[in-house]
Amino acid sequence: MVQISHHKQKQFEKIYDKYIGKIYRFVFLKVSSQEIAEDLTSEVFTRGWQSFQKENCDIKNPQAFLYQIARNLVIDHYRQKGQAQLVSIDNLPLIEEGPNLEERAMFKSEVSNVKAALANINDDYREIITWYYLDEFSVPEIAKILNKSEDAVRVQIHRAIQALKGEVGEV
Amino acid sequence: MTEKDLIKQLKQLKEIKPSNDWVLLTKRRILPEEPVSERSMSNVFSVFQWKLAFAPVISVFIVIGLFGFANTTVPGDFLFPFKKAAEIAQVGLSSGAEKSGVHLKLANRRLEELSSIAEVNKVRSLAPTIKEFQDNMTEAVNGLSQMDSLNLKELASETQKMEENKQKVESILGIQIGGETNKFENQLVSYLILDLEKRSLNEEDQKLLAEAREYSEAGNYNLALEKLLVLMNQSADRRSQ
Repeated sequence: MVQISHHKQKQFEKIYDKYIGKIYRFVFLKVSSQEIAEDLTSEVFTRGWQSFQKENCDIKNPQAFLYQIARNLVIDHYRQKGQAQLVSIDNLPLIEEGPNLEERAMFKSEVSNVKAALANINDDYREIITWYYLDEFSVPEIAKILNKSEDAVRVQIHRAIQALKGEVGEV
Repeated sequence: MTEKDLIKQLKQLKEIKPSNDWVLLTKRRILPEEPVSERSMSNVFSVFQWKLAFAPVISVFIVIGLFGFANTTVPGDFLFPFKKAAEIAQVGLSSGAEKSGVHLKLANRRLEELSSIAEVNKVRSLAPTIKEFQDNMTEAVNGLSQMDSLNLKELASETQKMEENKQKVESILGIQIGGETNKFENQLVSYLILDLEKRSLNEEDQKLLAEAREYSEAGNYNLALEKLLVLMNQSADRRSQ
């Protein structure tokens, strides 16, 4: 029993290391707050680990499983707060920035623009852009997360990027 | 802005990362490190499992090693049962026609062991080795009836060797080690004479056969065997020419 639990923990540690950054970014792009993103991401992995520990639990796709928890938690978060999903352009917890002030200013400006545009598009589009361009998931992987066909996902990626392009033009 | 530029800018959002401290703290909070005792227990268990995985291979090496060491033992030694087991297997794997020869070889081996026992004055091994020799000779006699003519010559050679060893051991020990050697030689000589009588022999062969018969009737089976072996060797030489 101890051996099984030890083995499961080792497995989940690997999952944690692989997805913690991606889930955090996914949540952050939805809630705009570092503090809330940390709380919700922490809750995603706590719930994930609780499910993972169950004896009859057989998680075939941990990636889809974690993103589904994250989506539900963000929905619950906004439901509880009664808030609209708004992203602040100024709240950017970037770790690495350019070496000099000018580059940093340019970088922050570009990122701010695209981030603001991303905040204004449909939530489904934002998710698919995050997965495809930031997390670099393949179309089949996204299809599994969304439980949709690969063709439907390709169409949605195309529409999402067109929507973002339109928003950037307006920002 | 082109789509390419947009994607380039979009990818800059990859820089959004949680702080390393938060990642580690959260990991430790959700997945606490196992208590040392539990971890050491699981490590012990995993080592045990690792050993279990190699157990069949290790067992094979141990058995091979034991049989290797046992090969130099003599009856009465701690590891002799392993040697005995290998010999039983050897007898078990031989055909009915070969069994007598195998027992004779084992009896010969016991005689060689008796020589070495006498050299190192290992008195306690004498009685069990002599008994083993006698048992092997009894089994060799029992198996003689199943012998075919092809194996008779080989058996005759081995018997001569056994007789020489026996005489040597008896002179060293100063005792008669007995066993059914006489009975064995008697039966073997009878079989050989019967077998040779069926063949077409030249004058010289017939003379040798007659001498062998005489020695056999006089109870001197060893000399009879010697004549028969000469006859068989000559006959074989003629066939090969």
